[in-house]
Amino acid sequence: MSEAKWMSKRTYGLQSPPSLGVPGKKRYAMVIDLRRCIGCGACVVADDPPCVRNCPTQATYKHESGFILQRYNRCIGCKTCMVACPYNARHLLPAARTDHSQPTDVADKCDFCIHRVTRGLMPTCVTTCMGGAITFGDVNDSESEVSRMLDTHKTMTLRSDKGTRPQVYYIGLDGDIADVAASYADRSVQMREEFNIFKRNRLGAGNIIEGESETGPVGFPLQVIRNMINFVKDIVEKGYR
Amino acid sequence: MEKELIMNAFHDVYWGVPISIYFWLMGVSAGAHVISGFGWVFGLKKYKQVGLIATLWAILALLIVPLILIHDLGKPMRFFYLLLPFYWHNSAPMSWGTVLIMLYPCMMSIYAYFMYKNNERMAFIFGIGSILSAASTHWYTGVVIQLNPGRDLNHTAIASLLFLVGAFISGTGFLIVTFWIMNIFLNPLKKIRDSFQEGFIKRFIKACSIGEKVEDSLIVEMGQVMAIGIVVELILTLNEYLQMIYGTMEEQSNLYDVLLGAFRVPFLAYVFFAMLIPLFILYLSPIKRRPFGVAIAAGLVCIGIFGMRLWWVLGGLFQQSFY
Ligand code: SF4
Ligand code: SF4
Repeated sequence: MSEAKWMSKRTYGLQSPPSLGVPGKKRYAMVIDLRRCIGCGACVVADDPPCVRNCPTQATYKHESGFILQRYNRCIGCKTCMVACPYNARHLLPAARTDHSQPTDVADKCDFCIHRVTRGLMPTCVTTCMGGAITFGDVNDSESEVSRMLDTHKTMTLRSDKGTRPQVYYIGLDGDIADVAASYADRSVQMREEFNIFKRNRLGAGNIIEGESETGPVGFPLQVIRNMINFVKDIVEKGYR
Repeated sequence: MEKELIMNAFHDVYWGVPISIYFWLMGVSAGAHVISGFGWVFGLKKYKQVGLIATLWAILALLIVPLILIHDLGKPMRFFYLLLPFYWHNSAPMSWGTVLIMLYPCMMSIYAYFMYKNNERMAFIFGIGSILSAASTHWYTGVVIQLNPGRDLNHTAIASLLFLVGAFISGTGFLIVTFWIMNIFLNPLKKIRDSFQEGFIKRFIKACSIGEKVEDSLIVEMGQVMAIGIVVELILTLNEYLQMIYGTMEEQSNLYDVLLGAFRVPFLAYVFFAMLIPLFILYLSPIKRRPFGVAIAAGLVCIGIFGMRLWWVLGGLFQQSFY
């Protein structure tokens, strides 16, 4: 059995089977050339996404061309998909938005700009990348530029050991950077501080701040209590939407 | 090169303290319920007296659970989507969990009703059903967090076992503490009981054995049962620790977080309060045969298991908040 076939047997959840290398199917992918990258955010669109199989309301699903899409009207904001995603590629939309017609408090993710791609345009990140580091296209089409890039360069994907078959490929990715554990252990003092400021400015329940003393025998229980107070305060703020 | 190159977004811990509290309450409920089954299902006469009140505690602990879970949703008013036929998702553990969480209190209430009516046969039948649903509901809480390959700390096959054993000991501990307190306030409870007129409330209070002394020997025996559970928990934790320390880089750094990093306090609380100190009290100390000693051990177990829920849930999600 070919790998693609085996994968489609193994796939579960509301998703089209992995389409990588399946004749007649599209599989959009992205190649990011880190030699040109100046360092903005990154996203990964898996070919076998854990977020889809763990969503209890079918709010997130996989399109047969590889887009992983989100249906806001179905999402209950249970955050299971965020817990399932090994890349932290998901987020909860804010409760207050300037444009009131936009969804709030539901999960969202990068959708490879399906609204642009289906109209023959490139995803916004590709067109705005200053270094021109991102290439986007159909990997199943051997003539496309992504296929050519993948054929001619040595590429790496992030956390492919998690069984997600990520479709964002990196050129010149330093293993040290890609490794979540190394990045965690070696984080700089500045990053630590930024992280703590981020946490302090959040009201969400469950944000434990890692400082030098705040996770000690007094600090930790206090943080737990603070989290619960925020959780209860949230009853008013949510106003039961 | 600075590591922030591709890791410049910070994230929240999505399932936080409220979810830990839910896991703890669920465990206490399931554990207390199993103790109630000792008398009415497994036929241990001694436990019959406390059967109904143990189940009532289990139901009470469970009443708080949906409030926490629903309020934790981004869109609380959409909680019923989980049960709509066209929204149902077979591969999502949470879909199945929702059914279990709804089934469990129903089974438990029917079982409690037959205990109240003193109908042994029906209590036996529904007792089996509700103990199975108690076990599977709590098993599910382990599973829902275990089936996430990205969370190295939680992605282990013994997660649900650890949860089940933890549930059993914390539920037993919770009951021991309540029985001990009820024994202390025996006279006021008796007065309250006698102040009611004959009728439903009085019959109900009597069926719950409120105002009757829970035998000291029963409390001590429950302590021994709990001690066996603690030993199993200790072995499972040791096993998990071994896997982590011989594990991948990610597992090791997660372990670092739990042993020495942000979650050392709940972890140490777990090891000492839920396991080592209670084991010492229950096996080696001079107060091991005194209800007072057993109650202290039981209270510590409850606190320690809460610590476990905290480091287990938060710890697994915390590391990636940097990624
Ligand atoms: S937050 Fe929304 S998309 Fe994510 S798992 Fe829950 S219902 Fe599905
Ligand atoms: S990277 Fe995360 S959000 Fe994106 S498809 Fe994979 S699991 Fe889902």
